Amino acid sequence: MSDPTHVPPSKVVLVSGGSRGLGLAIVTDLIDSGVKVAAFARTVTPELTALAEKYPDQVHVGPVDINDEKAGQAFVKEVEGKLGPIDGIVNNAAVGQDSLHVHTSAEQIANIIQTNLTAPLVLTRFVLRRMMAKGLKGRIVNVTSICAQRGYPGLVAYSATKGGMDAATRSMARELGGRVLANAVAPGFFASEMSAVLGQTQLDQIVRRTPTGHLTEPEEVVPVVRMLLLENTNINGQVIVIDGAAGI
Amino acid sequence: MSELTRDQIRDLMGEVMKAQGKVLPSDDSADLREIGFRSLDFSELALRVEDEIGDELNFDAPGLRQIAKVGDVLDFIEQLQSA
Repeated sequence: MSDPTHVPPSKVVLVSGGSRGLGLAIVTDLIDSGVKVAAFARTVTPELTALAEKYPDQVHVGPVDINDEKAGQAFVKEVEGKLGPIDGIVNNAAVGQDSLHVHTSAEQIANIIQTNLTAPLVLTRFVLRRMMAKGLKGRIVNVTSICAQRGYPGLVAYSATKGGMDAATRSMARELGGRVLANAVAPGFFASEMSAVLGQTQLDQIVRRTPTGHLTEPEEVVPVVRMLLLENTNINGQVIVIDGAAGI
Repeated sequence: MSELTRDQIRDLMGEVMKAQGKVLPSDDSADLREIGFRSLDFSELALRVEDEIGDELNFDAPGLRQIAKVGDVLDFIEQLQSA
């Protein structure tokens, strides 16, 4: 008999922003772990398409802008029809920032907040409602950032959204009463993608200040996401920083 | 309001530096680090230009990182105005 206080491993996981970088690495790893995976992004890359073609019964992908609430909801229903009820969600989709706050337009700030904070909360709400209506337990992993805990120039609005998601993670863990484990992973700066916004001088400085001597790689974040989705750990409401101790 | 000329931008840049007790060299090839014109000084200049033209000049940071000389500052602001 299953333990009523135990949240089982996720069987069907929804990954937003799953077409490249960390999102794609998470999708690939979950497939390798035998999990059914649904992934969406504004643009489905050839890499993601290839995974869907290779694992037709295990993977479902689609082009969805996370800011399009109706499209997101339709995708969730598609996934449920094809793979079964979603009991895990990885909120990874986000837009970066590379502009000083005083030179960032109000529209750009609104877009960053919409994409990185409002949209994932709305999507999570929708998935949770369907999960709870079916009496399912589940797991949430929010991909946030070291920016939520330490200050970096050019990332004011971005940092605010990541701090917001960290805070939401803790409140979700409380609110969901153990039926859903809600956690966040907060990577340090990757050598690629959004880290490009920092400039080489800042990146070199971060590497010098990092005890492990290197910037975080997606492959170093993936096992932590897998653990939070699949292992029996009782970790709940936590933000796990993965940055080689650069931030301490 | 109309765009500022390169000379007018240069005048404003001189004012930013003067407020810090520094002098803007007449040579466009002067190195910004050597004359003590830093990124926040660039922000101040951009905001002063905004005041003059009555419009916001928002921009991302990568372009800013390419700026090394006085002439680069003037070029960048001119381009922002005409964007």
